[in-house]
Amino acid sequence: MKFLEGAPRFLFFTGKGGVGKTSIACATAIQLAEAGRRVLLVSTDPASNVGQVFGVSIGNKITSISDVSRLFALEIDPEAAAQAYRDRIVGPVRGQLPEAVVKGIEEQLSGACTTEIAAFDEFTALLTDTEITSSYDHIVFDTAPTGHTIRLLQLPVAWSGFLEAGKGDASCLGPLAGLEKQRTQYSAAVQALADGQRTRLVLVARAQNSALREAARTHGELAAIGLTQQFLIVNGLLPEEEAALDPLAKAIYGREQAALAAMPDELHALPRDDVPLKPFNLVGLDALRQLLVETAPQPDAAGEPVALRAPSLSDLVDDIAADGHGLVMLMGKGGVGKTTLAAAVAVELARRGLPVHLTTSDPAAHLTETLHGSMAHLTVSRIDPHAETERYRQEVLRTKGAKLDAQGRALLEEDLRSPCTEEIAVFQAFSRIIREAGEKFVVMDTAPTGHTLLLLDATGAYHREVARMLDAKGGHYTTPMMQLQDSKRTKVLFVSLAETTPVLEAANLQADLRRAGIEPWAWVINNSVAAARPRSPLLRKRAQNELVEVEKVARLHARRYAAVPLLEEEPVGVERLLKLAAPLREPA
Amino acid sequence: MTTIHVFDPALCCSSGVCGVDTDQALVTFAADVDWAKKNGAQIERFNLAQQPMAFADNVTVKGFLERSGQEALPLILVNGDIALAGRYPNRAELARWAGVKEAAEAQQGSCCGGKTSCC
Repeated sequence: MKFLEGAPRFLFFTGKGGVGKTSIACATAIQLAEAGRRVLLVSTDPASNVGQVFGVSIGNKITSISDVSRLFALEIDPEAAAQAYRDRIVGPVRGQLPEAVVKGIEEQLSGACTTEIAAFDEFTALLTDTEITSSYDHIVFDTAPTGHTIRLLQLPVAWSGFLEAGKGDASCLGPLAGLEKQRTQYSAAVQALADGQRTRLVLVARAQNSALREAARTHGELAAIGLTQQFLIVNGLLPEEEAALDPLAKAIYGREQAALAAMPDELHALPRDDVPLKPFNLVGLDALRQLLVETAPQPDAAGEPVALRAPSLSDLVDDIAADGHGLVMLMGKGGVGKTTLAAAVAVELARRGLPVHLTTSDPAAHLTETLHGSMAHLTVSRIDPHAETERYRQEVLRTKGAKLDAQGRALLEEDLRSPCTEEIAVFQAFSRIIREAGEKFVVMDTAPTGHTLLLLDATGAYHREVARMLDAKGGHYTTPMMQLQDSKRTKVLFVSLAETTPVLEAANLQADLRRAGIEPWAWVINNSVAAARPRSPLLRKRAQNELVEVEKVARLHARRYAAVPLLEEEPVGVERLLKLAAPLREPA
Repeated sequence: MTTIHVFDPALCCSSGVCGVDTDQALVTFAADVDWAKKNGAQIERFNLAQQPMAFADNVTVKGFLERSGQEALPLILVNGDIALAGRYPNRAELARWAGVKEAAEAQQGSCCGGKTSCC
């Protein structure tokens, strides 16, 4: 593997959710440790599953992985980091200030800003704190999904620039005095990232157009901030020899090779490794040790036929349609196909003559173009986070900044660059759209987990704010949060793949939602190989593994569920989307 | 030299842009403080959510919080004495306390004098 040759001190793995970053980061860490290096594996994903991969609980402390000597791991849990941050601030005044005041402080410090900053502090410390880092030869970062990572990486540049210019009050970033101390740390972090001798970035993608486009975007954005030492891994490629064995395998192989051929030029220029699809789930040490080995063991050719009996998406849509209107939200980790399934639900509803508005906040979504104007009863829109943020900034400047002089406006503009602004802007766009669900169907997909939860946080904060104002007036009101909690108005569909990690992640997300008072209505298992009844030995082996996971979903996690087959053609366009909802073929 | 200390309620950020709805009073005040500082005023702000020790360490502020609660914030001290509570001062008040002349405005005469398009 090229990306492992002469590996520097810091290795970052990044890519769209679901491309296999964690598996590859773990496999890399194992390989380096077994080659005699001391390795620290760090996850900055709020929903990290590094611990689960190794079968140990890790958390916020550096933990030794007992099965692999010289390997240590750390999961930067933003929530735990934020709690530690809160304790640091509030601890000293407990008993000093009135209890109500202390409670008020804690409440203010439970927002998204605090979480972001606390996690970021830990992250920069790892890049710069020689006391921690000097005892390791390599620090391998399994980073959070792309958008978040970019923000984390860009912040040091933005913040040190901000401080140098001596502008403003440093607003969200905490008191300026405190930041001054960290300034050296931030600029050291930036230097470490920009130093190709010390830092290597590995972009992980699947051989899919959208994943490759996303990788190209990350490549550009991170190269622009100095992270120039980059490698590309294409993960989960179907081996050519499988293609001869079955029409589905042939179609997938063709699709993947076409995507690779059409890869953006800037990716072509990077050193590239291809990692073949394995017949087994990438959980546990043995599986991970085999991941980066060039020749895959051949799967058992004599597998039994696989039969998945499961409700179809169309069965779920029957129940959704019965209510005549409402909000249908597709949630789940990145890369599981939320946008595609949102579109499939929308076209299936529209096919039945019901009025539907399909909307997405996924920056990479381009289904809108495929669908636009091509179907009666269906309207399509897109929440563009950048456009929404710009609109929000302009709106605040126009209204709240109206009476300010030039200097005051400049100050406000600077503050509006705070990382929190985008969340608020997207949330406002989201609230506008869900109001429509009173008279028609609104189907929306949401951006990956961390973002979704922030959105819900904002929804909760907004709800409390409105409730406080309107309770005083005795008015009648419905906030977006109340709408999400009411299963008559909102149906949350969980999207997952029939694989160990995605199912567990979805279950964790479900628990988070329940804490917010939202009960998911159904689970949809996407891209099911078992539902497609493959004949290729490798796919059949994967299909067998899937049955176990589908069983778990049906019995443990979901109140109702459906399975959607992996199609031979990429599900783009109304006709192919309708196929996703079709009843599963009975096994022969 | 006059020193103005502003004790803010628990805020995410001092300009309020992090909230679900941006507070006009905070936006205006942030600009006024910036202006006054540029004109030589000594102003320091303390955010209850970020620097609670500053509140606990100051006898006047601590007593105020015990008596009136955090709802009564912001509290503004001028040379250590309570000058204002419950709302933010405007630019004229800041200027008066700090002994700063609103020179920029006074000399400019018409607001159209500059390069701005404010008229």
